[in-house]
Amino acid sequence: MTGRSTRRSGGREARRISREVNIEQVRPFIERKIPYYELLDDAGLELIEKNADTVLEQIGIDFKEFPQALALFKAAGADVQGDRVRFPRGMCRSIIQDSAPAEYVQHARNPERSVTIGGDRMVLAPAYGSPFIRDLDGERRYATIEDFRNLVKLAYMSPGLHHSGGTVCEPVDVPVNKRHFDMIYSHIKYSDKPFMGSVTSAERAQDTVDMVKLVFGEEFIQSNTVLTSLINVNSPMTFDATMLGAATVYAENNQATLISPFILAGAMSPVTVAGTVTQILAEALAGMAYIQLVRPGVPVVFGTFAAAVSMQSGAPTFGTPEPSKIMYLAASLARRLGVPFRSGGGLCGSKIADAQAAYESANTLQTAALCGVNFMLHAAGWLEGGLTVGYEKFIMDLDQANMLQVLLQGVDLSENEQAMSALHEVGPGSHFLGASHTQANFETAFYRSTVADNNSFEQWHQEGGLDTAARANIICRKMLDSYQAPAMEPALDEALIEFIGQRKAQFDDRDY
Amino acid sequence: MTEENYDDEEIILSELDDEELVLQMHDDLYDGMREEIIEGTEILLARNWSAERVLNEALVAGMTIVGVDFRDGILFVPEVLLAANAMKGGMAILKPLLVESGIEPIGKMVIGTVKGDIHDIGKNLVGMMMEGAGFEVVDIGINNSVEDYLAALEEHKPDILGMSALLTTTMPYMKVVVDELVRLNIRDDYVVLVGGAPLNEEFGHAVGADGYCRDAAQAAQMAPLLLHNRRASRG
Repeated sequence: MTGRSTRRSGGREARRISREVNIEQVRPFIERKIPYYELLDDAGLELIEKNADTVLEQIGIDFKEFPQALALFKAAGADVQGDRVRFPRGMCRSIIQDSAPAEYVQHARNPERSVTIGGDRMVLAPAYGSPFIRDLDGERRYATIEDFRNLVKLAYMSPGLHHSGGTVCEPVDVPVNKRHFDMIYSHIKYSDKPFMGSVTSAERAQDTVDMVKLVFGEEFIQSNTVLTSLINVNSPMTFDATMLGAATVYAENNQATLISPFILAGAMSPVTVAGTVTQILAEALAGMAYIQLVRPGVPVVFGTFAAAVSMQSGAPTFGTPEPSKIMYLAASLARRLGVPFRSGGGLCGSKIADAQAAYESANTLQTAALCGVNFMLHAAGWLEGGLTVGYEKFIMDLDQANMLQVLLQGVDLSENEQAMSALHEVGPGSHFLGASHTQANFETAFYRSTVADNNSFEQWHQEGGLDTAARANIICRKMLDSYQAPAMEPALDEALIEFIGQRKAQFDDRDY
Repeated sequence: MTEENYDDEEIILSELDDEELVLQMHDDLYDGMREEIIEGTEILLARNWSAERVLNEALVAGMTIVGVDFRDGILFVPEVLLAANAMKGGMAILKPLLVESGIEPIGKMVIGTVKGDIHDIGKNLVGMMMEGAGFEVVDIGINNSVEDYLAALEEHKPDILGMSALLTTTMPYMKVVVDELVRLNIRDDYVVLVGGAPLNEEFGHAVGADGYCRDAAQAAQMAPLLLHNRRASRG
């Protein structure tokens, strides 16, 4: 600007600009200041631990068609018969406690976005693994790489999500054996938040590692963690060669894994909370112990994904009390073990972003917040038991994610927050809206929802009488229109494109 | 469930007349009482009922009731599995007799998960429901290559080929199998059914299957219809 302004600073223009900026400071992750909600006392948890040790000792866990795991366990003192591994009591626990870190930093391309996973921290990542998308025109269809990019962009733009996630949807339009290249590239290019690697084969995990070497440098990743990848247990009590292959590549390269029993309780575990948690603990202990045997000290996370199967229809159900109880107990067990915990998410069974989707998701999110989840996958977009990710649901969940940040801040007891000056100033009668304490604090005082409509009936009606999903639809379109990519060195982009081009040329497209 | 749960344990199946016995067998199927179904089947055969009549009037009719009440949310999954297991007990007795008398069986199915996919709970449920519907099911397990499927088709000569997948990364393999059947000119020898969480109608169509089954109950409903149509179209 040249010359002197003829007006004072402030006024309408300045206020509009200040209000456009999100007044919540963007934080790389949530630092919890409230206590954990413990559902069981020590005696109860000890009973679960004792039973899990009995499972490991007497029933054992299958490590299918993966001799490397069998050999490591045998050398560590386990009883190996075929693919079945039985563990002396306490063996897995002591292997994990000897070397697994209680928390770790997952570095992001932008150092300001690096996250600490574990302890009192909470990191939120979008939904993972859906083949279908519910798009902005209300259609349910197979997801594409374009949807994938859109979801990465939305997560990048969302202050409540700290992590770019992994398979934010399955880009079904890209050949199976090459889609991991496009997915990893999208996370690097369209976001600067940390992300997850491919786990659908050891080879694809290695490609992921090779790509992050281009971003961070070979030396850096050998002493730092830049990937946190999802390793599901094929419950009940089975690890398969695909998951073990990928987990091994990541562990060997100092990269973190989430060892997650995948439980549809009633089908893949007993129909009770205590029985299911026992199985989850046994499976997670065995998997995490394996990771520590591959490379002692590599970060590993205790994961839990639990839904309840309807005994009436066989369908998985979400947001019901039993999976919440399971999550509370698993979180307590992870704390006792001394490793980070992954669970939670905006889980629901609803097909669309409706009331069922909202309350089931809210139930799971509240549980995840109170129980002490450190890494929350599926925090945004999840619909239909994970078969579908929805744009509108994604926007609704972001609002919830932002709220968790505020909830977990706990109660500030500073002099300002005690607000005695306001109480003195206003006294009986009158109101607080004009009080000087209110004037000084109102902007950050209360959480303001991004999607809720609390206007009068008349105003809501005049503005089209839109429901939550319709309002979210508008927000989503605006976000995608206003997306601006984070800065990236052109040389890095070229190196990634060259690497992908070379690798893709080395083998034919294949649909398996 | 044990005998003690019933007040009327004095019921002796062999003392019932045919009509009462068949109705009792419908109830016993409903309650998943395998031993009683085996006994009832044997009694009816001893009374000179044909195997085909026992199959249709006692077993299939009983399982139809089970299917309706499952659909309507009255019966739960574990109960349906018990019923299917009871049905299987009766079928084991009837099968050799049906073969002997040249009666066309309800049908035979080869079922397995596709290459790369080891998730088999859904496939197992379909197998049990199909057995409950009177089909003979050959379960070839998990992680099946084209060669595995072809070998099983050759060996067992089924009417139906069932393929299942839980992963988006494995489901496209169904097309690899169907394409090979087409190439070998044997595609039309089988009804091909596909299923699994990441599939839909459109996908089933795209891979060249005859039917996409959204769940196990629907598979057991759809299979006889498709098979009937196929047989009818061949005269």
